[in-house]
Amino acid sequence: MIRHHPDDALLLAHAGGSLPTGPALLVESHLETCVRCRQVVRGFEQVGGQLLESGDEQALGDDALAAVLSRLDQPIVVPPPPIVRPKPSLPEGTNWPRALRHCQISNWRPMGPGMRWSRVMVPYDPSANVLLLRIGAGKCLPQHTHTGTELTQVLHGSFDDGRAVFGPGDFDEADTDVLHQPVVQAQGECICLAAVDGRLVFDSWIARLASAVVGL
Amino acid sequence: MDASLSHDSTPSQPEAADDARPRLRLVVATNSMDPPERDPQLDRWMVAVAMHHDREAFALLFKHFGPKLKGWLWRTGSSVEEAEEIAQDAFVNLWRKASQFDASRANVGSWLFTIARNLRIDRRRAIHDTWTSLDDREAQDVADGGPSQEDAVGQRQHDERVRAAMSRLTDDQRQLVKLSFYEDMSHARIAAELKLPLGTVKTRLRRAATLLRGLLQECRP
Repeated sequence: MIRHHPDDALLLAHAGGSLPTGPALLVESHLETCVRCRQVVRGFEQVGGQLLESGDEQALGDDALAAVLSRLDQPIVVPPPPIVRPKPSLPEGTNWPRALRHCQISNWRPMGPGMRWSRVMVPYDPSANVLLLRIGAGKCLPQHTHTGTELTQVLHGSFDDGRAVFGPGDFDEADTDVLHQPVVQAQGECICLAAVDGRLVFDSWIARLASAVVGL
Repeated sequence: MDASLSHDSTPSQPEAADDARPRLRLVVATNSMDPPERDPQLDRWMVAVAMHHDREAFALLFKHFGPKLKGWLWRTGSSVEEAEEIAQDAFVNLWRKASQFDASRANVGSWLFTIARNLRIDRRRAIHDTWTSLDDREAQDVADGGPSQEDAVGQRQHDERVRAAMSRLTDDQRQLVKLSFYEDMSHARIAAELKLPLGTVKTRLRRAATLLRGLLQECRP
């Protein structure tokens, strides 16, 4: 059961289509698993439709209607199949979010004892800071805060960061006010998708060194 | 005194250069923030398109919504050319997918809004890739409950519920939702325009979004 959802303002921005790449991918990944949030977004889209009714108009070209009518009977051009890029393996029963299917995901790389990470390369926005963390059972991330917002979607397993327990499908938003130390539950490893805006700021020098290696 | 936003230039100038996007200024409010009544004819036209492939009804929908769609796309960052192309593409999509139109969950306006939004996202993403997500998202919507054709009365009640939710926000909250969500204005720009601290804008917007979500849920049949 999903207990933690994206903030309503984040869902509202998603419904307007204005989220930057990283947050958009995280919210899309969450929506794939969360009926509740899909309903919320649908409600906001209805508000969009209503605002459209009272919105400012801009005249279309003189031949716009004729151009559209002439296209109605044209055969539908089937777009080429999406480029599905090979992905590293996940534990059985856990699937990659469809939102990531066009992304290049690097192999798991070590970033500390029991900790691995992988970069998610977004072809249409290489500057997007999206990554995967795979942390072993009972391990904890070094205590850290953020210079910007960190969005997390749990794909597998669960962690407790002192504020709450986050399990599969849960979404977390941590900003500069949050100083946390996520601890993975003892039952098994945890895999999270994360979008980071700004840098993570770790307390210890070892963690700072690790973050420099990872590039955060 | 309430304040709302209006625009310095008339919006319907197709030849207007992109940098002539209207600048906002604060004016004394009328009741312009209130969501308008919807014309029940729109629903009948959409049903005629969905059930009978009625081109005349399609043309009427195009005349009603086309300029509104183009206006929204242009104001939220598309060039005049892109806004025109996406608005036209949205209607071709509406025609082809008309049988999927689910009157119980969307009216024509919100459906077109969603189609145009997704087309623009896909267009931006397709700059480097061929992936399209529009069909994917629609498939997900269908999976949440198959399409159902409600009658026009049901649709009007549905619209009324969304209207009621919006009208229960304060003027300030409606204005924030409109600027951020519909006008795609950054938090920083809203703060500058409304002369409010950035943190206040973020907090108020968050509160307004949560309130709106709750009201929409209350209003769900």
